[in-house]
Amino acid sequence: MATLLSEKQIAQLKRRVKETPHPREMVLDVLHAIQDANGWVSDEGVELAAIVLGLSSLQVEEIATFYDKIYRRPVGRKVIHVCDSICCWSRGSEAIMLRLQQLLAIAPGETTADGMFTLLPTCCLGACGEAPALRIGRTLYGGVEPEQLEAILDKERAEVES
Amino acid sequence: MPTLTIDNQTITVPEGTNVLEAARQLGIEVPHFCHHEALGSVGACRLCAVEFLEGPVKGIQMSCMVLAKDDMVIDTGSDGVLAYRAQVIEWLMTNHPHDCPVCDEGGECQLQDMTVAGGHGVRRYTGPKRTYQNQDLGPFIAHEMNRCIQCYRCVRTYQEYCGGKDFGVMGTRQRLYFGRFSDGPLESPFSGNLVDVCPTGVLTDKTYRYKSRIWDLQEAPSICPHCSLGCAVIPGARYQELQRRRARTNRRTNGHFICDRGRFGYGYVNHPDRPRAPLLGHRRVTWQEALAALQNHLHEFCELYGSGSISMLSSSRASLETQFLTKRWANALGSGQLCFEAHPRRDQAARVAASQAPDCSASMEDIRSCDMAVLVGADPLAEAPMLALALRQAARRGARIVVVDPRPVELPIDCERHAAAPEELPRILQGLTRPQQNAFASASEEFGGALGRALLEAKNPVLIGGSDLLGPQGCQMLLKAAEACSPTGSTCRSMLLLAGPNSFGGAMLSDDGPGFDALLEGMEQGRIKSLVCIEADPVADYPDRKRCRAALARLDLLVVFDCAATATVQEADLFFPTTALEEAAGTLVNNEGRMQAFEKVFSAGTPLLQSAAGDHPPRFFSRDIPGSHPQPAWTTLARLLGRDAELEKVRRELEKIDPRFDGLAGLTADSEGCRVVAPRQAPALVAAPASGVTASDQLHLLVTEHLYGSELLSDLSPCLQAVKSDPYVWLHPQDVARLKLVEGKPVRLCTSLGEWTLELRINGDISPGVAVVPRLRGTVVETLVPGSEPMLCRIEKA
Repeated sequence: MATLLSEKQIAQLKRRVKETPHPREMVLDVLHAIQDANGWVSDEGVELAAIVLGLSSLQVEEIATFYDKIYRRPVGRKVIHVCDSICCWSRGSEAIMLRLQQLLAIAPGETTADGMFTLLPTCCLGACGEAPALRIGRTLYGGVEPEQLEAILDKERAEVES
Repeated sequence: MPTLTIDNQTITVPEGTNVLEAARQLGIEVPHFCHHEALGSVGACRLCAVEFLEGPVKGIQMSCMVLAKDDMVIDTGSDGVLAYRAQVIEWLMTNHPHDCPVCDEGGECQLQDMTVAGGHGVRRYTGPKRTYQNQDLGPFIAHEMNRCIQCYRCVRTYQEYCGGKDFGVMGTRQRLYFGRFSDGPLESPFSGNLVDVCPTGVLTDKTYRYKSRIWDLQEAPSICPHCSLGCAVIPGARYQELQRRRARTNRRTNGHFICDRGRFGYGYVNHPDRPRAPLLGHRRVTWQEALAALQNHLHEFCELYGSGSISMLSSSRASLETQFLTKRWANALGSGQLCFEAHPRRDQAARVAASQAPDCSASMEDIRSCDMAVLVGADPLAEAPMLALALRQAARRGARIVVVDPRPVELPIDCERHAAAPEELPRILQGLTRPQQNAFASASEEFGGALGRALLEAKNPVLIGGSDLLGPQGCQMLLKAAEACSPTGSTCRSMLLLAGPNSFGGAMLSDDGPGFDALLEGMEQGRIKSLVCIEADPVADYPDRKRCRAALARLDLLVVFDCAATATVQEADLFFPTTALEEAAGTLVNNEGRMQAFEKVFSAGTPLLQSAAGDHPPRFFSRDIPGSHPQPAWTTLARLLGRDAELEKVRRELEKIDPRFDGLAGLTADSEGCRVVAPRQAPALVAAPASGVTASDQLHLLVTEHLYGSELLSDLSPCLQAVKSDPYVWLHPQDVARLKLVEGKPVRLCTSLGEWTLELRINGDISPGVAVVPRLRGTVVETLVPGSEPMLCRIEKA
């Protein structure tokens, strides 16, 4: 369990939790720290977060499973979130999702064979004004046309490889 | 007080009542799932829609989310509303399996009722349904997630109302999952309430699985016998087997919920070792023979040694009617050697509790609505579990809860804890009785004084004490303290936790009668030749088992009436089987002095499962129902007194002789009960001997109640065996270090009563210098009984 985060990181997080009046405010911070270090949050990660936060594993899991940006299963090096909510859907997100499936040769929820990308639908990215939108890693792409996707993927891939 | 019109009927309701509840008061049931009286409204299920025609709100709204206001005109059944509800119920039902014929909830499914009420009769959805892996939630609750309709009642009950942290809701949208992080037993001692609140068959009673449909059950309003609070329950029986217990609503006591000890403690009624026939020595005899033997013997003793040679002991398990007729019988025989509790200190404490003015005692409802509660020497989860839940409701409304105790008292809330040594408790109570005083003799008194001042400033304060730890003297001080801490214009109410469901009744009837100590002395001196135990188990309940056994061995005749195979039954010369609580009607007086009647649920008899060994119908024939010999103790007593065994008559007689029980004859089992009218006289107490000086290697031993394993009847329930702890001793880390002991390793506990090897557990919340051992029946420490003065002990490496 301790290998999920360094002793120093755990001590730091514990200190921050102690300074917060309500430890629950820190749940996402702790989960993100674990996810940043490991790529995803395993069961052991949830248990570690619970110890750091002084909550029960269930209380952490309730939040971890609520947010689709916390990954409770192994994912690729970059996760593509394609918004399928009402604004993006009305502006062509279905075509984007289809095109990505063709380009990556995977279905939503799957990871490419090289472990580079995981493709997921998401219910909102908060970018309705830029519909249709998608997010790769932490980069938001708005007003996306299906024709641009190949270049976007190449750029993202190159970023990892460099 | 808004006045509104619902379906052409006008009603005035208190401010803050929502429209759903207002309709209910008119007898109009608006279909709903997520609303629950105890849990409140969240507007999640969207089923309770009604149409607002006039008033401040217009159109279709959720009735649980709109407060009743003046001039509202509401139609609960307009075409628009009906169409809306039909649509909502159809959505809720899309993923619900079609397994009603084999579902465990069948016959008591709110979802089924509401689906029919909502007008959804034919399923149009033909797509695949989402399915789930279920979890093993332990011995009490079965999990079948496919049936879930996401009403959130379980989470709100488990987490919000009961304070549990290991069961909740995960995921989002149509992938919601209600369960634990991983398989494992539910940790909350109130987990059984999930069964009652789940509107469909997701969370059901595992102990009752595959047994009966509700319409085949014999049910009646009853009272839980497993502590002194007297929670309302509905037991259900079939085939002469008590198959389950569920919560009943009594807004003055338990509210809507019960604890797991109460829910799953029912198995004692069906226990295979339960003695069901009269015994003369070890020989089975008929009732006539047994009664004749009893009367002959007692007659003989009266002739030979006088009526003072006959003594009687009843208990807090016996109904008020049984206790009363025991007293009448003792009177009729001319014997004053009678008491209602085998444990002298508990007896005295109950007598003190019954001397509390009825209008000053706190009900559970008072506790749920208090703004400050101070607990002195009371461990709710162990001694009266539902009290913990009542305190939680107060805390959720912002009440300050202070726990003063030498034990590590666990509560399902954050509260202020003050670890006080047992000898400090009287000083703290002393301080509480003088909240206005400026200077105190000791820090403990000063602390008590500060608490007292806080109670004086509170609006609805409550002072709660555990009679086991406080003893009669402490209980008396607590009542005085409550009086002293009463703010002007209102009352600091008090509650004392007692040993059993009818301790209060026994104490009321005790007058100045002797304690069991005096009876034992009489036996030891040979003055008392016979003892009749009526639903009492002195061997297990008297704190010095050796002394009790030796005294009983000197008797010429030991008569026992009981429904369980107790330690005393083993010694009986003459035994009469009595009915269990659920097999007869009667009355219990709970720890606040509330008389509560209970009805007969079913007739006593060996469960078919045992008598027919699974065969149906049984392959032998007789005129009697096998195992149907148990009789209510009070009917036998009535026969012995030569009168009719009519409950009504007994109640009326008691009411007439003792006006403090006014209202008893008119009590119905489905009412909220009523308090005794006046207190008994406070007993004259002998000062407790000062505890001796402790040597450096000595500790004070506190034997305390435990949630599971301490109470006689629930400990006989097979389904509670799975959660019963192994014997252990709790010590403070300081003492562990000083005595050079190791946690988890066995240690040797040495006392004047004996020596035992136990597991060592460490707890930092315990008062240093104290060793806490829970009472666990049927284990090596079963002779250790709570409620005594702390005894000196040594603990060493085993």
